[in-house]
Amino acid sequence: MGRIVGIDLGTTNSLVAYVDTPAGHPKCIPGPYGSTLCPSVVSLDPDGSIIVGEAARRRLLTQPERSIYSVKRLMGRGPADVQNELALFPFRIDPQSKNMIRVILGDEMFTPPEISAFILRELRNWAEAHLGEKVDRAVLTVPAYFNDAQRQATKDAGRIAGLEVLRLVNEPTAAALAYGLHEKQRGHVAVYDLGGGTFDISVLKLISTSEGDIYQVLATNGDTHLGGDDIDNFLQAFVHHRVSQNGNFDFSSSAESTQKLRKSLIALKHELSEKDSALLNFPLPNGEVFTHEFTRAEFEKIIRPIVDRTMGPVKQALADAHLAPQAIEEVVLVGGTTRTPLIRRTVQEFFGRKPHTELNPDEVVALGAAVQANILDRGVSNMLLLDVTPLSLGIETYGGAVSKIIPRNSTIPASAQEQYTTGVDNQTGIDIHVLQGERELAKDCRSLARFTLKVPPAPAGLPRIEVAFLIDANGILQVAAKDMRTGEQHSIEVLPSYGISDTEIERMLEESIEHAEQDFAERQLIEARTESEAILTATAKAFANPQSTNLAADERSNIDAAVAALKQSSAGSDYKLIRKRIDELNHATEHLAELLMNSAVSRALEGRKLAEV
Amino acid sequence: MDGLEQTFLQLSWKLHPDNFVNTTEREREMSLQRSSKLNDAYRVLRDPVARVEYLLELEGMRKEGEHKQQAPPELLEEVFELNESLDELREAKSASANLDALSRRLRTAEKNFGEKLQEVDGEMKTAAQQWDAALEANASDADREAILQRLNELLNRRSYIRNLVAGVEKELSGAAY
Repeated sequence: MGRIVGIDLGTTNSLVAYVDTPAGHPKCIPGPYGSTLCPSVVSLDPDGSIIVGEAARRRLLTQPERSIYSVKRLMGRGPADVQNELALFPFRIDPQSKNMIRVILGDEMFTPPEISAFILRELRNWAEAHLGEKVDRAVLTVPAYFNDAQRQATKDAGRIAGLEVLRLVNEPTAAALAYGLHEKQRGHVAVYDLGGGTFDISVLKLISTSEGDIYQVLATNGDTHLGGDDIDNFLQAFVHHRVSQNGNFDFSSSAESTQKLRKSLIALKHELSEKDSALLNFPLPNGEVFTHEFTRAEFEKIIRPIVDRTMGPVKQALADAHLAPQAIEEVVLVGGTTRTPLIRRTVQEFFGRKPHTELNPDEVVALGAAVQANILDRGVSNMLLLDVTPLSLGIETYGGAVSKIIPRNSTIPASAQEQYTTGVDNQTGIDIHVLQGERELAKDCRSLARFTLKVPPAPAGLPRIEVAFLIDANGILQVAAKDMRTGEQHSIEVLPSYGISDTEIERMLEESIEHAEQDFAERQLIEARTESEAILTATAKAFANPQSTNLAADERSNIDAAVAALKQSSAGSDYKLIRKRIDELNHATEHLAELLMNSAVSRALEGRKLAEV
Repeated sequence: MDGLEQTFLQLSWKLHPDNFVNTTEREREMSLQRSSKLNDAYRVLRDPVARVEYLLELEGMRKEGEHKQQAPPELLEEVFELNESLDELREAKSASANLDALSRRLRTAEKNFGEKLQEVDGEMKTAAQQWDAALEANASDADREAILQRLNELLNRRSYIRNLVAGVEKELSGAAY
């Protein structure tokens, strides 16, 4: 058996972590770029190989039609569910998609679990390269508010990546585990987790007992389609609106400009977490430059609706835990989006205490997953997680109503039994429709599965079939039926409404291996060399620009030295060295880039009047 | 920490599937079944109402999942008034009339019935303690039967009032105030 790792499969970034010794502390594993964050971006190279992470993120600009980000938003969802996302995200979905969505990358199609599997496989490579050992088992994290189908899709992704998924852990619970281990605090803890695309709030009780520490989730709530992506979308809509008012450019006509703008706005958003204002200078393809100074106040006004949307679930979770905000002893912030000052302020005001931000909000979930992986690997330990199901489980009854059989916030595993009989003589089947959600009507809840119970022919009312519904420790539904007269057990194959069958998973596993057959290090080297060529070409081009004569002599000689060093390293096969030289050249050419940028801006200003300048 | 919670946590240490990841499939299945039963039991026993319902099912006073409602006779007049106000509110809403006075009246009624609900909860708690005492004291079948009858009655009354309050809440939340 190989090593076991914890993986945070995030909307924007994914991370892998491990615990080095049984009693050790968890650590995140860095990738070839030195960062522990692997952008959750996948790109299909024209040669058929799959590019994941930072290199794929760059391709969002150059090859948007072959690349995809934020695929987590599509996990476990059907074509009808994602219409809203399609208006905001550049997802290209096969119009023939029936139950399972198929995403188009270049000339090929992939399901969301397959795309997620590419990310998992990349992280697995990182871990194997770092540990020098085979990695074949993992604990994966999911948003606490993920429903059954979304969880199943995540588990499928793990299997397609060739990983045995030992457990799905809820992200805020994983964060609490890492936090509790770090701070040694006990009592009531609220975890506010706003990531790239999902929001969770979990209320936990940390208990010390003679056997060890228990992390008991009391209530959880959230929104699986709310996150930093939405801030980007709001900012983007703001700029699109201004540009269409003042300039003469339509962003919908250019996927490339849309991606470039999005990238600039993300940088601007990060800047506004540190500073009181930030300047956007965006060159439009028509030669104009859109300029706008965003103040912190204006930014907060734009994103206020997103922050407000998180507070409904926060209040509901507290109500379900029967706790007042003052009863919460510690508040933990998780997810990169919680770096936003408005969010910190809002959370602090609501709970009346300063939230914890000591742990890196990007890494804390992966660290917790690694802790849980270590616990599971050892079997018995001095830590126990008791998690809950976020949504009520129900079955459709007469007239399209829903009868709740397992209420939300029940500790999992949880089960319920229902007795069924027939209504007419010799009836051979009973239709059962299982749903998840809080609404009273079946049409307003999420359909998990429909199946027909087979019944031997008998007079009406005579058959007695007991159906057992069980939500396992991963939050995934299992169903079994028992004939009460004969004692016979029926296993029921319940395929989630948007699920993949086992045979399909086997096929996808084989295909993903084909795509990934190129050796990891070899691919890193090719990517580093390609990038090196690109920056060398760009530098040569910059020197051809008359502005470059304004460089000081020592600046010029520094660049020349960096160019020579990069050329030399690119001839070798050490991709880490090439990366280092690229960074050095980037650094050396900063002033040169600035000179060129200023000249482009002033040229644009001479020719045109822009209301926004 | 009360005894129930302590027992629950102790059994969780023993039965939780996390402790059985590297064992045989049979052991894993047993852990899954038993820990789910443990969690189901704790869910019922920690909730005073669900706990009484379960007791009445055990004693054959109620069918599983039965939700009988019973209007408390002494409240009939108030219930009648409340229903009238609710009707008026619905009419006023469809006529887009001024809802201020009506909403105020309903809020008062809602508060009033909310207090009644607490009263019933209190009485139920007392009756439940009487049941425990009766078991301790080896009380006669007739005495026990009487307590169960009383619990059943209180439960029916409770679901009636709770439905009433929920109905008012629903109408008021839709009243755009």
